Amino acid sequence: MSEVDMAVIKPEMMKSYIWLRTADGSIQQVEQEVAMFCPMICHEVIQKGMGSSKNYAISLPQRVNPAMLSLILDYCRFHQVPGCSNKERKSFDERFIRMDTKRLCELTSAADSLQLKPLVDLTSRALARIIEGKNPEEIREIFHLPDDLTEEEKLEPLKNTTDDPRIRLLNRLYAKKRKELKEREKLKNAEVKEEHVDDRSVDDLLSFINGGNEDSKGIKTSKSKKKNRRRKDQQKSMSANETTKNHNKEPNGLNSACSSAEVGQKIQPIIGSTSTLQDVEDDIIANKNEFDDADIDDEIDPALKERIDREVEDFARRLNSDWPERMQEILSLGQERKPVHFFT
Amino acid sequence: MSIVNQSEPPRLPSKTKAELDRISNLPRHLVEQILLHLPIRDLVRTSVLSRTWRYKWATTPYLVFDKQCLNVSSQDQTLIKNKLVNIIDHVLLLHKGPIHKFKLSHRDLLGITDIDRWILYISRSSIKEFILEIWKGQQYMPPSCLFNCQNLIHLELFNCLLKPPLTFKGFKNLRSLDLQHITIIQDVFENLISSCPLLERLTLMNFTGVTHLNIDARNLQFFDVGGNFDDVSFQNTPHLALVSIGLYVNINNDENNAQDSSSKLLRFFVNLPQIQRLEVQNYFLKYLAIGNVPSRLPNPCVDLNYLSICVDFDDLGENTAALCLLRSCPNLQELEMLTRLEKRTTVERSTNFWEDDHWSSQFAHLRLVKVSGISGVKSEMDFIKFLLSNSPLLERLTVKPASPSQDGKWELMKELLRFRRASIYAEVIYLDP
Repeated sequence: MSEVDMAVIKPEMMKSYIWLRTADGSIQQVEQEVAMFCPMICHEVIQKGMGSSKNYAISLPQRVNPAMLSLILDYCRFHQVPGCSNKERKSFDERFIRMDTKRLCELTSAADSLQLKPLVDLTSRALARIIEGKNPEEIREIFHLPDDLTEEEKLEPLKNTTDDPRIRLLNRLYAKKRKELKEREKLKNAEVKEEHVDDRSVDDLLSFINGGNEDSKGIKTSKSKKKNRRRKDQQKSMSANETTKNHNKEPNGLNSACSSAEVGQKIQPIIGSTSTLQDVEDDIIANKNEFDDADIDDEIDPALKERIDREVEDFARRLNSDWPERMQEILSLGQERKPVHFFT
Repeated sequence: MSIVNQSEPPRLPSKTKAELDRISNLPRHLVEQILLHLPIRDLVRTSVLSRTWRYKWATTPYLVFDKQCLNVSSQDQTLIKNKLVNIIDHVLLLHKGPIHKFKLSHRDLLGITDIDRWILYISRSSIKEFILEIWKGQQYMPPSCLFNCQNLIHLELFNCLLKPPLTFKGFKNLRSLDLQHITIIQDVFENLISSCPLLERLTLMNFTGVTHLNIDARNLQFFDVGGNFDDVSFQNTPHLALVSIGLYVNINNDENNAQDSSSKLLRFFVNLPQIQRLEVQNYFLKYLAIGNVPSRLPNPCVDLNYLSICVDFDDLGENTAALCLLRSCPNLQELEMLTRLEKRTTVERSTNFWEDDHWSSQFAHLRLVKVSGISGVKSEMDFIKFLLSNSPLLERLTVKPASPSQDGKWELMKELLRFRRASIYAEVIYLDP
């Protein structure tokens, strides 16, 4: 409100009062300087000439009930005094907003309808401070919010779901796999041929061991089918199979006593013991089982064992340096949720 | 919301939850106001509170991504980067409505190309305030779409390389520009400043590529610069009121003296009619001392009420320039002198520069003086003596020594005690280092 306006009004009405009526019908009079601190009241007085008497009391908006009005007037009464220092104002404000959240909300609404921006700012900051740092249950408790979202809606990919430890772990594992994939790819491109060569030599061995045309043929075809599928699988989903193979082969590397037939089954409990991983690994293990089952069905144990041993050596050689750390992680993930240093 | 009557019946024990929940039914702009003050993490978390709150956050016009948005303590850079990219991608996708303020300032965020696509997204939503700080790594070059944001009012960039497209005609609404650790070429810089007609505040720190600061900004009020440059000149800056200039690199005096003897000091003040606060930092006084320093400026700076000078009291040129400044601001109220410690190669002068009778100055309005970094040498004490005897309205002189070492402290204080004071109100306060 401009000073000119004040100058015009003041000489005529000294120490005068403004009449205000709240929505419930009750009327009260308030010192002029205090009431004029609210832009809306000021506007009514100046533009429409209201508020000078009981009959022409200014009708306040519906959101302003008498309790809120008295609070707002307290605020205005303090702040309209020009001499206060900033420090004093701040400490008044801090004391002023100490009230329950219900009243804070009402006050925000009332102040807003009277266009009292500083008070709206003060109350919204206070409400924000209440919300900040609390988890959803606490906030619902404080503000009496209904808990009406379904479980799946809550888990939908919003940023806050990274608070769920399982999903955080998931993200971490994905990130880790992606990195591994990049590393593998570099190694892979150099060694893909090598593996195929290995396969072939093993195939020859097998066919020799198995003996007979039919058998060998049968086995050969089945082996070659598998080989193709394996190659295709590798090309299609190199990460999934390769890395799972790593995961699954590594226990083999350590537990060399483990026989081939037990490969699939043994791995399950080891991985299963870290229950958190199961969510992730379920799909991937399914693939692996499919793969393994085919092996087990077709192969004679010694041949398979030999092949597996060779491959295990291969991978173990490559992953030698990383293995102890990785095993630590897989075991410890079941116990704690601390983010672990995955990549060295 | 229910209206409370004066004569209200006792409250029923079972108030419905809907009545208790006041906050969800506040008008939208009030909810937005509340959410404005929340950090981004808490902001997005409000989406799980209840059905009505699911998307209340999504229309917030302020998006700030700083260290509060990611609290992973891992050392793994890739992991943090991926998380951060993930978070920002998600938030931007789920957001709807205009974005007025966007701040991206996370310690581990490098200048990755993902930022390009975020800037593109933001440039389409009438952004008004854009702050981007690349804390480490090489300089990031913002894409050209940043220069299409004609609604920008405040732009702040840290560690960036600025290369606007050739069609760039300036930011028509820009009022505040803050560029630190940037690389920009001379022409581009001048064009940028002069083509932002509403520019009021300009901060420039640690810049590469600009050697001559030619400032042509008719609405400029605040100018803060620190870095290495050869030259400063103001063309068309009638409203410039606050200036703080720091020259970080010592200039080669001999070289400059040979060239021309026009005073840099004169040139500097020629277009600063309304200056109110001036800070001459680091080696800038040495720059101002180049050329023939007048005894006082032709047009005194009548509005100047605060002056801060970083000076080497043993340098005759700097002393002359400082005195010229002091004599050219008749309404000076607050003065700060920071002593710059240089290697004392010259023998201590036996003459007292500040005592010569030519200078009969009186600081009629000077009330507060602060002198820091002194070590008790004669030239410094001469200045303090000069000041005390010429400031009739002085209220407080604060003296702060440079080094925490104890020797010379008592000598210093004894001398201070002795000095005559023109002002009966003067307090001389000796601060511990």
